[in-house]
Amino acid sequence: MSSHNESILREPLITGKDITYKRITDEVLLPVENKPNKAWWIGFIVSALGACLWVFAVSYTFWNGIGAWGLNKTVGWAWDITGFVWWVGIGHAGTLISAVLLLFRQNWRNSINRSAEAMTIFAVICAATYVVSHMGRPWLAYWPLPLPNQFGSIWVNFNSPLVWDVFAISTYFTVSLVFWYVGLLPDIATIRDRATGLKRRIYSVLSFGWNGSVKTWQRFETVCLILAGIATPLVLSVHTIVSMDFATSVIPGWHTTIFPPYFVAGAIFSGFAMVQTLLLVTRKVLGLENYITMFHIESMNKIIVLTGSIVGVAYLSEFFIAWYSGVEYEQYTFLQRFVGPYWWAGCMMYGCNVLMPQLLWFKKIRTNIAISWCLSIVVNIGMWFERFVIIVNSLFRDYVPSSWAMFYPTWIDISVFIGSIGLFFTLFLLFIRVLPSVAMAEVRLLVKTSSEQSKKKLIEEGKVKKEEADYYIDSLSTYDSVDQADYVKL
Amino acid sequence: MESTKKYWKGLEEVNNTPEFAEHAKNEFAEPIPVDELLQGSGLNSVAPRRDFLKAMGFGLGAVSLAACNVAPVQKSIPYLVKPEEVTPGVPNYYASSYKGGAIIVKTREGRPIKIEGNPACPINRGGTDSQAQASVLDLYDNSKLKGPLKGGAEYSWDDVDTYVKRGLAKAQAAGKTIALVSSTINSPSTKAVIAEFSTQYPATKHVTYDAISYSGIIKANEQSFGKAVLPQYRFDKANVIVSFGADFLGSWISPTQFSTQYASNRNIASLNNKKMSRHIQFESGLSLTGSNADSRVAIKLSEEGPALLSLYAEVSGASVSGASLNNQPANAAIKLAAKELLAAKGAALVVSGSNSVAVQTTVNAINSLLGSYGNTIDLDNPSYQYAGKDEDFTLLLTDMNAGRVGAVMFLDANPAYSHPLAKEFTEALKKVDLSISFADRPDETASLCKVIAPNHHYLEAWGDENALEGYYTLVQPTINPIFNTRQAEVSLLTWANYPNQDYYAFVRSNWEKTVLAATGKKWDDVLQSGIISLPAKTGGAYAFTGSVDAGTVAKESAALAKDIELHIYQSVSIGSGAQANNPLLQEVPDPVSKVTWDNYAAINPKFAESLGLKQFDVVAIKTDKYSVELPVLHQPGQAQGTISVAVGYGRTKSGKVGDGVGKNVYPFITYTQGNAHFANTVTVSNTGGYEELAQTQTHHTIEGRNVIRETTFADYKKDPAHGSGNHGEKHPTYDLWNKYDQPGHNWVMAIDLNACTGCGACIVACNVENNVPVVGKDEVRRRREMHWLRIDRYYTFNEEGKAITEEHELEGTKGNMENVSVVHQPMLCQHCEHAPCETVCPVLATVHSTEGLNHMAYNRCVGTRYCANNCPYKVRRFNWFNYWNDSRFDNYLNNEFTQLVLNPDVTTRFRGVMEKCSMCIQRIQAGKLEAKMEKRALVDGDIKMACQQACASNAIIFGDANDPNSEVSKALKNERTYYVLEELNVQPGVGYMTKVTNTGSQEA
Repeated sequence: MSSHNESILREPLITGKDITYKRITDEVLLPVENKPNKAWWIGFIVSALGACLWVFAVSYTFWNGIGAWGLNKTVGWAWDITGFVWWVGIGHAGTLISAVLLLFRQNWRNSINRSAEAMTIFAVICAATYVVSHMGRPWLAYWPLPLPNQFGSIWVNFNSPLVWDVFAISTYFTVSLVFWYVGLLPDIATIRDRATGLKRRIYSVLSFGWNGSVKTWQRFETVCLILAGIATPLVLSVHTIVSMDFATSVIPGWHTTIFPPYFVAGAIFSGFAMVQTLLLVTRKVLGLENYITMFHIESMNKIIVLTGSIVGVAYLSEFFIAWYSGVEYEQYTFLQRFVGPYWWAGCMMYGCNVLMPQLLWFKKIRTNIAISWCLSIVVNIGMWFERFVIIVNSLFRDYVPSSWAMFYPTWIDISVFIGSIGLFFTLFLLFIRVLPSVAMAEVRLLVKTSSEQSKKKLIEEGKVKKEEADYYIDSLSTYDSVDQADYVKL
Repeated sequence: MESTKKYWKGLEEVNNTPEFAEHAKNEFAEPIPVDELLQGSGLNSVAPRRDFLKAMGFGLGAVSLAACNVAPVQKSIPYLVKPEEVTPGVPNYYASSYKGGAIIVKTREGRPIKIEGNPACPINRGGTDSQAQASVLDLYDNSKLKGPLKGGAEYSWDDVDTYVKRGLAKAQAAGKTIALVSSTINSPSTKAVIAEFSTQYPATKHVTYDAISYSGIIKANEQSFGKAVLPQYRFDKANVIVSFGADFLGSWISPTQFSTQYASNRNIASLNNKKMSRHIQFESGLSLTGSNADSRVAIKLSEEGPALLSLYAEVSGASVSGASLNNQPANAAIKLAAKELLAAKGAALVVSGSNSVAVQTTVNAINSLLGSYGNTIDLDNPSYQYAGKDEDFTLLLTDMNAGRVGAVMFLDANPAYSHPLAKEFTEALKKVDLSISFADRPDETASLCKVIAPNHHYLEAWGDENALEGYYTLVQPTINPIFNTRQAEVSLLTWANYPNQDYYAFVRSNWEKTVLAATGKKWDDVLQSGIISLPAKTGGAYAFTGSVDAGTVAKESAALAKDIELHIYQSVSIGSGAQANNPLLQEVPDPVSKVTWDNYAAINPKFAESLGLKQFDVVAIKTDKYSVELPVLHQPGQAQGTISVAVGYGRTKSGKVGDGVGKNVYPFITYTQGNAHFANTVTVSNTGGYEELAQTQTHHTIEGRNVIRETTFADYKKDPAHGSGNHGEKHPTYDLWNKYDQPGHNWVMAIDLNACTGCGACIVACNVENNVPVVGKDEVRRRREMHWLRIDRYYTFNEEGKAITEEHELEGTKGNMENVSVVHQPMLCQHCEHAPCETVCPVLATVHSTEGLNHMAYNRCVGTRYCANNCPYKVRRFNWFNYWNDSRFDNYLNNEFTQLVLNPDVTTRFRGVMEKCSMCIQRIQAGKLEAKMEKRALVDGDIKMACQQACASNAIIFGDANDPNSEVSKALKNERTYYVLEELNVQPGVGYMTKVTNTGSQEA
C-alpha cells in the first residue's frame, strides 16, 4: 500500500497518536452516548431562553401587528429582512463545504461538513421564520405558493423576486436537508449498533436499515455525488435570487447589477465565519482537536480572507459605478453610507467585512485560535451590518426628500433577532446531543492516508526524503494538537 | 273514497295474538329500557356497536347544533316602510350651508357622510376648507352630550324649560340684564328668534364675541368711511397684493373664498393669458399665505407699524413720522412694493392681519390712495362673517362682576377657553344666577354653567346664513338628531313662550317674508339650490375721511419691541379651536411646519441657536400674567426675535380627542384701544424638557432634485416651458413591458403647482371619502400616518445671493434663514403605467387596470411591504395595526358613533394590508353607472376626485386622457407639464405643472 501514501508535504487532517476507527467513534460519539456536561447545560439554558424570547416576540407581533416593530411608511423592511438575508447567507457555507468541496475532492471537508450542514439547515429555518413573521398577514403565508385555489384560481406573480425567493429557499432547504440526512446514514447506523433499548429502536428506524454492505456503501457514495451535483448550483442560485429582491427594484442602492456575485461571495464569507465561530467552540468543548485541526482552521481563514476581499472589490465597484453613472440619487445614497445618519452602520460594514479580515493574510493570525474566533465574530457582525446598510440606508432616503425618515428599532425588533440566535443555538445544541457532530464514516477514511500518525510512521520508516520530512515537521509547529517533542528525536 | 283496505304488518297482526294486542296499545312494540340505561347497569354495560354509532351520531349532531348557536347578531334591519327617497346604495344630496358658504351634503341610507362645496356658491365656488370637510365627523362625535344637563346631572327638557323660564323671569323682574353671548350670528332667522326673545324679555342684551376678532377692521372702516363693516376683499381683481401679516389663504376672514379668488390670477387659464398677480407678504411667522407669496419679507411684529407707515409715506409721497424702518431688506421691499402698487392703481390691494384700529386705518388710507375701493375692496356688499365687538364683552364682564347680570346664555361661544380674561370671566360667571350654555358638549364654558341645553349639529338643524350682503344660504337637516339635543333657537323660542316653536316653520315664514319676497323665488327652489343671491349693490364712491394716526401706530409697534415678540396666529386646520375634538383636523399636518397634533413655539433656527434652544426643547413662554411650556420648532422664515404660537390648542374640555393637545395661548392676547391684539412680548427660557413633535415631513429641502420644477413669471412669458425640462428631444426610453391598448378610458390627473396653496383641504376630503384611519400623535411620530394624499413642502433658502436647496450647503452659510421660498406639492399614487409596485408583489395584490389605474386588492394582500419599498414616490401606506378594531385607536374614528361617518362604498382595511390612493375608484364606478343608467357616454367632468372637488383653487384636474378634449388632456399638453421622476420611465399618470413665481420688477 505504500504507493498510496499521501504526499508527506501535505499537512495531516487528523492528529493524535493511536487513532483507530474505534477511537474516532468513541470520541465523536462521546456527547451522544453520555449525559451532557455542565457546559452544554449552561449553553442550552441560555439558548432556550433566547428561543423563548423569540416565541414571545413573534407571538407579540402576530397578536398586535407589524406595528410592534419600528418600521414606518418609508422604511418597510429593516431588521426583519436584514435578519433573513443574514441567516440565509450564513447557511451558505454548509452547501459549499458539502457539495463543492466534495466535488473538488477536498478531503479536509470531511471533519467539518456535518456541523456546517447542520448549521445551514438551522440557519435556513431561522431565515424562514423571518419570511413568515415579517408578513402583515402571516396566516396567509401560503399565498405566495403557486397552489391551486378556489379564488377563481389566482396565480402568483412570477415576475416578483419574492416568488423566486420562495422557490429558492424551499429548494435549498429541501436539498440541504436531504444531503445532510443521507450523509448521516452510516453514522446513525453506528450509533444504532452501539445503542441498546429504545434508543436502538429509534436509531434503527432513522438509519433506514443501513447494513454496511459494499452495495450500500456504493449506493451511498453515488447518491452523495449526485446530491452534490444538484446542490452545487444552489450555492450560487439562492443568494443570487435573494440579491434580486433588491437588484430588480428601482431603489437607489438596491438597483445594482453586481448584486448576485457580490451576495454569493458575501454569503460564503459569512457562512465560513459562522462555521469558524461554531467549530472553534465545539472543537474545544467536545475535545475534537484531533479531527478539527489547525489545517482546517487555517483553510477556513483563507476562504474568509478570499471571499472578504471579493466582497471588498464589490464594495469598491459599487462606489465606482455610483460615481460613474452620474445618477444623483445613487450617488447620494452611497455618500449617505459615510456621511448620513447611519454612518456608523456603514463604518461597521466596511470595517468588519473588508478591513478586519485583511489581518488573515498573516499566518500568525490565521493560526491563532483566539484571534480567529474573534475575527469570525467580527465578520458575522459586519455581515449583519452590510444587510442593514443595504436595506435601511437605501430605503430611508430614496427619491423624494419629503418622505425621508429614520428607522429606530423597537424592543420587539431586537427581541426577534436575539431570539432567532437563541433558536439557532438551541437547535444546534440539540443536534450535537443526538447526532454525531463530525462525520465519523468520512473521517475514518482519512486515518490511513492523511493522519498525523500515518505520516509519522512514514518518517519513522524513513520512506520520505529528509528535507521533505523537515518541511512537514516544520508545518506542524502551528498545530495545537501536536506535541512537537514527538518529532525532536526523529 | 275512503280506503277500507287494510294491510297487515306481520303474522302476529293477522293472528292477533294476545301478546300483540297487548303491545299494540303501546307506542313502541318493545319497551325501551330507559330506566335500565339510566340506572346502573345500562351505563356500565359495554356499548354495543350500534349504540356506539347512535351515541356518536347524537353527539355529533348535538355538537353541530351547539356550534351553530353563536352566530353573530346582525343589528341592521331593513326598512319596514321604505322612505320614498332613500334607496340603499344610492346617495342623496342636500343643499346646506357651513360658515356661510353653500355646501352639498352627501347622505347614504340617511347618514350624512361627506361634505362638498356647492359649485353655485358665489364665494367659495365649490371649494371647501379642511374644517368644512371634517365637520361631518363632528356630527358623530361621541364626546358630545346625550341630552340636557343641569348642575352636571341629566335632566329632561321640560324640567330645563321650567327651571330656565323661572330664572329668566326672576332676572327680568329684578331688572337685571339677560345676556346672550354668541359668536357672530349672520343668520336672519336666528336674529329674528333673538328679536322675539327680546320682546319677551326686554332686558336681553346680545353680546357678539368672536374668539378671533376683526373688530379693528370694522371700527377702522367706521372711522375712515362711516361704515362699520367688514368689507369684502376681492383678491381676484387685484394684480398686486401686499399683505402685512394677513394669512388670507389660511385663516384670515374667509380663506376658502380668498383662495378661489387668489388662484384665479395664478392658474393655468391666467398664465395662458400671460397674466399673473404679484403678491408681496410682510410677516413674522411663516404663514400659509407667506409660503405662497412671490416675495416674502420677514419683519418683526414691532416693525409692522413702521413698515406700513413707510409704505403709506411712499405711496402718498408725504413724509410720515415714525416711518423709519431699521431693517434694510424690508425697507427696500417697501419701496419696491410701493412702486408696484402705484403702477397697478385700481387693481392693487393692501391688507393687514392686525386688529388695531390705527393700523387698519393706515391700511385704509393706503388702499384709498391706490383706488382700491370699488375695485379690490367692496364696502357696499360687505362681509357679515365676523361682527364681534371686543369692547362689548369687556363691558359684559364688568356688568357681571357688578351683579347687574341676572342670566347669561352662551351660543357658539366659549370665553372660558378663548378669552384672554378667561380667569376673570370664570369668577364673574359665579355671580350670575342663571347661566345657560347651548354647547353640544360640556366645554370649558358650558361646564361652568348651571344648565347645558345642547344645540343640534348644523347637519341636524334648520337654519340660514347671510355671509355677504345679498347672499343667503339655507341650512337644512340631513339626519334626525343623533342625541337628545334641541336646536338653540327652539330653546329660545320655548323660553320666550313663542306660540309655534317649530323652527322649520319659523325659518320658512321668515324667508317667505324677507328673502323670498325680494326675489320672487319659491321655498322649494331654495331647498334644492340652497342659495339666494341678490344682485350686488353698486358701488358708492368712498372718500377716506379718517386720519392716519402715525403716532399710535408707531407707539403700538414700539410697545412690542421688548424681550421676544410673541406672534399669536391661527393654524389652518384647527383655527380658533372650536373643532379641536376632531381627529381628522388634528392629524392634518400644518401646511408649513407639517406638525400634527400640537402647537409649538416656532423660532427661527438662527435665533434659536443664539438662545441655545435645540429642536423640540421644551421652553417656558412667560409674561408676568401667564406662562405655557411648549416644544420648540425650528421654523425657517420666522423673523429673528419673534416666536409664533397657534391658538386653538390646549383645550381642557373639548372631548377625548382634543383635550390636552398643545397649550392654550389665548391668555397672551393683549388689548389695545379695546381691541384684541394678537401679539405680546414674552420671555423664553429652556425648561430642560424635550418633546418630539409629530411631523409628517422631517426633511425640508429638495436637495437639488428635479422633483420640483420652477420658473419665474418673466421667464415664463418668454418661454412657457421654461424650467419644466421640456426642451429638446427627450432621451429615448426602452422597457421590458408589453404595451397594452387602453380602448376605454385612461384616467390621469394634472396638478398645477402654481394654483395649489398647500392648505390641506384635499387631505381631509380624501380621508373622509376613503375611510382613511386616523392614527394619533404617537403613530405619526413613528412616521406612520395613513394619508393617501400628502402635500410635500420644500424650502429654498435664499442666502448670500444663492438659492440653497441642499441641507449640507446650508451649514456653511451665515445668513439668518429668514428669506425662504416655499413650494407645496400634492403627492399621491402616480398610477404609473409601468408601476414598480406591481412587478414586485408576490401575490398580484396590486395590478394595473385597462383604464390606467393601479389597483390594490386588499383581500389578496399578504403584507410583505415590498411594493411600498419599491415605490419611488413613497405613497403606499401600510396598516401597521388593526385601526378599525383596536381599542388603542378608539379615540379617533373607531367607535360606534364615529364609524357611522364611513363611506359604505369603500371598505375599511384590515391590519397587515397595504393601501394607497385608488383614484376614488368608487366615484369612477358610480360615474360610469350613472352614465349607463342614463344611456349616455361618460362626459368629462362627470367624475370628480374627492381631492379635486374640495380644492378651492382648482389645482387638481382629473379626467380621461383618451378624450383629447377633456380638461385634463388639455392641461397635460400645457408646456409647463412635467412628470415627477420621469427619468425612471415608470410613466406616471399624474402630471405636474411648474411653479411660477412672479418676481415683478424685483431684481432677480
